[in-house]
Amino acid sequence: MTIAWVVFRKELQETLRDRRTLMMMVAVPVLLYPILMISAEQLTLMGLRQLESEPSVVGVSGPATDPAREFLGGFEEVTLREVSDASGAVRSDSVDAVALFAISPVADSTRTVTIVYDAANERSQRARALLARALGDWGDTLVAQRLSERGLPSGLAQPLSVADSSVALAEELGGYALGRFLPLLLILMTLLGTFYPAIDLAAGEKERGTLEALLTAPVPAQQIVVGKFLTVALIGVIAAALNLGSMLLTFQTGLFRFGDAFDIDFALPLGAVALIFVTLVPLAILFGSLFLGVALRSRSFKEAQNALTPIYLAVILPALLPVFPGIEFTVALAAVPVAGVGLFFRELMTGGPALLPSLVAVVTTLLWAWAALAFATVSFGREQVLFGEGDGRVESGSREIRAQVRAWLGPRGSTPQPIHALVFMLVVGAFFFYLGFPLQARLGETGLLLSEWMLLFTPAVLFVTLGGFNARATLSLRAPRSRQLGAAFLLIAGAMPLGWFLAWIQGFVIPVPWELLEGLDELLTAGSTPRLLWLLVIFAVTPALCEEFVFRGVLLGGTRASGSIMRAALLNGLVFGVFHVSFESVFRFLPTAWLGVVLAWAVLTTSSIWVGALMHFVNNGVIVLIASSPGLRAWFESGGEAPPWLLLPPAIVSMIVGVRLLRVSVRSDDSERSEGGASE
Amino acid sequence: MIEFQALTKAYGRLKAVDGLSLRVEPGEVYALLGPNGAGKTTALRCLASLLTPTSGTASVGGAAVYDDPLEVRRRIGFLSASMGLYDRLTPVELLSYFGRLHGVPDSDLERRVTELVRVFGIEEFSDQRCGTLSTGQRQRVSVARALVHDPPALILDEPTMGLDVLSGEVIYRFIEDERARGKAILFSTHQMAEVEFLADRVGVLSAGRLVAEGTSASLMVQTGQSSLARAFLALVGERT
Repeated sequence: MTIAWVVFRKELQETLRDRRTLMMMVAVPVLLYPILMISAEQLTLMGLRQLESEPSVVGVSGPATDPAREFLGGFEEVTLREVSDASGAVRSDSVDAVALFAISPVADSTRTVTIVYDAANERSQRARALLARALGDWGDTLVAQRLSERGLPSGLAQPLSVADSSVALAEELGGYALGRFLPLLLILMTLLGTFYPAIDLAAGEKERGTLEALLTAPVPAQQIVVGKFLTVALIGVIAAALNLGSMLLTFQTGLFRFGDAFDIDFALPLGAVALIFVTLVPLAILFGSLFLGVALRSRSFKEAQNALTPIYLAVILPALLPVFPGIEFTVALAAVPVAGVGLFFRELMTGGPALLPSLVAVVTTLLWAWAALAFATVSFGREQVLFGEGDGRVESGSREIRAQVRAWLGPRGSTPQPIHALVFMLVVGAFFFYLGFPLQARLGETGLLLSEWMLLFTPAVLFVTLGGFNARATLSLRAPRSRQLGAAFLLIAGAMPLGWFLAWIQGFVIPVPWELLEGLDELLTAGSTPRLLWLLVIFAVTPALCEEFVFRGVLLGGTRASGSIMRAALLNGLVFGVFHVSFESVFRFLPTAWLGVVLAWAVLTTSSIWVGALMHFVNNGVIVLIASSPGLRAWFESGGEAPPWLLLPPAIVSMIVGVRLLRVSVRSDDSERSEGGASE
Repeated sequence: MIEFQALTKAYGRLKAVDGLSLRVEPGEVYALLGPNGAGKTTALRCLASLLTPTSGTASVGGAAVYDDPLEVRRRIGFLSASMGLYDRLTPVELLSYFGRLHGVPDSDLERRVTELVRVFGIEEFSDQRCGTLSTGQRQRVSVARALVHDPPALILDEPTMGLDVLSGEVIYRFIEDERARGKAILFSTHQMAEVEFLADRVGVLSAGRLVAEGTSASLMVQTGQSSLARAFLALVGERT
């Protein structure tokens, strides 16, 4: 039995004995929903019935109103009353509404009637609606009379009769209604479900003094965190599932009769319910680990509650998004934590959600959850966190924060850990996405230069220097041998055509927006040599330095120690590919990811980022050259056709030779170094 | 068995423990005596690998706290002053949980828990939740918890704090028994009576430094005082 499992079983047993958690988890959904919804329904229906059982008291005011009185007197729901001051009578509640007739004009013209009512009073609103309908009917009668007096057909004044008919089925209407509020409710309930257990299992343990005993057990802190976090996440999932189940049952057992009244069927397809449930799991993991990480830093239950409340409120905002009309389920929104899942739920309830944003929503939630779990694990096992009372020492806020950041980054002179690189990528990615793309859209080439140098290169350099990392090792700053550069050239010369083939294959799944590409071509086309050189600076030199420092620098430096070369290279390519995907450019994913893998492999093998920079420059430079020369461009523009198959054999050969030469050069380099070392 | 070598734990400029060196042999009971804030708890937490020493080291049976914290924890039973128990678990559930965490095999676990329940007189309340137990009952469960994996070294941080005479007596008897079984026992306290009663040797800690070490009798001789309490006051008074 693993330690995490032992901890999980004990925490679950203890949590299930906690009345507070049980109340939140079981009692609220199972009892409160049916009771709340049914009593709300009954109260509303009762109010409506009461309103409708009494006639509306209305007044008629103005000259020559006898015909109007006569007509309105024919309605059962209306009781007429004399009024002189229309506004005063409505204000004093002596009548519900007054129809105020203007002076009768010449025959066959329009007479104005103003309905005076109180918009803040339900009885008055109802009277207004009644009056409007009745007066409308009377108007129709008058038109019909006028037409018949002149012997004209009754349809003359109404050339069109508009009626509408919705094709939505009752269950689709129900899905639409559910999709508006259920996602918010489910997210909040998952949140609430994890809220108390997280505090109880983290800060509560500190407050009760049990943490010290627990940590003297010979087990890694991570295992304890995982056990605790599994408990919190499970409770969150159970709470959400009970909420979902209870709500659907309330609707479907016929207890809730609102739906019948409006011909709405509040039912969800079983598949959708299952998918919602499955997606709640990463969401519960995200909340569980986030709350656990924060609660672990608090000394007491109360302090943890104070620390978690702002997070709770911050989560509500993205969770509210699905409620607002006009918010589309785009890839960008899908990547926003919580909002993505909320929108995915809404789409599931209202009909089929689009595949790409759905995948993005689920995958990014898992990534956020993983980052939050790493945060929770880092929180645990650190003595400032365990003995937060600090043995009586007092430190200033900023010094404490600096000390915590330092402790998180590890000793000076080391290389970053995967979690450091991941957090860095998340921050850089968020800035690039929300600041860099708009900058490029608004400022064009200047925006591109700014975003590359300010949002990629500068953060990478700052991260390594301010973080106190070993810059040479982290960024692979070793100078390459000339033969390595030659081998790298062959490698990229082979990899580029292969990337073209990959893009073509990907085109079968993700269509390429050719119009967009034509626009890009125009942007890249050079009319003169100085322009061509400028384009090379923007599109080849700049990315070759800025993007390399981020991806083959910080990201690779932080992840290479965690596994094999191939795994680090694949992860690098994946992140590189994702980074180049924006709203319209999903089609860039595979070729870019491929380029990322090849570059990462070359940099890992040679320990020199300059090899990656050269290859990146060659790759982008060739694209600029092709786009700039009309002759070359015509040859390369396939418009969806397969690339020339003749390219394939030389590309593969070039790549294999490049890989071999690169390996050989590194090996001979190593042996030279070891011989040199032996002779010294 | 237990050894501190020039261990220092500093928080900024404040040295909570300052160059502490001492040894506790198997079968020996060593009392760490000191006023509040002298650094007793910090020293014991460093030994239990809960805190990282700023310099120097501590080890248990040759395993150093910084290099192999898990091995150190395997070899110690740690009783914290807070007596932390899970209020919603029963003593039996709590002992089984810590047994599993300490790697006691499932086949031995039940026997071991039953034995501890008997030895510490927990039978009558073994099925009650810990939250409902009296202070004395809680302390007995705490001690049993620290012993569940039968460690060769015991670290007890003020084990009799808040206990009445009868409950204290259970702890004394337990310390004597464990000493007879060859365990190295290091406990902190500020009660002179239990030091005289239990400890083979005593170290006096003041402002993080070990200011005197020896048997109770030798400390009295060293300070020329007629009781340990007066000797202690003389030693601590010299420092303040």
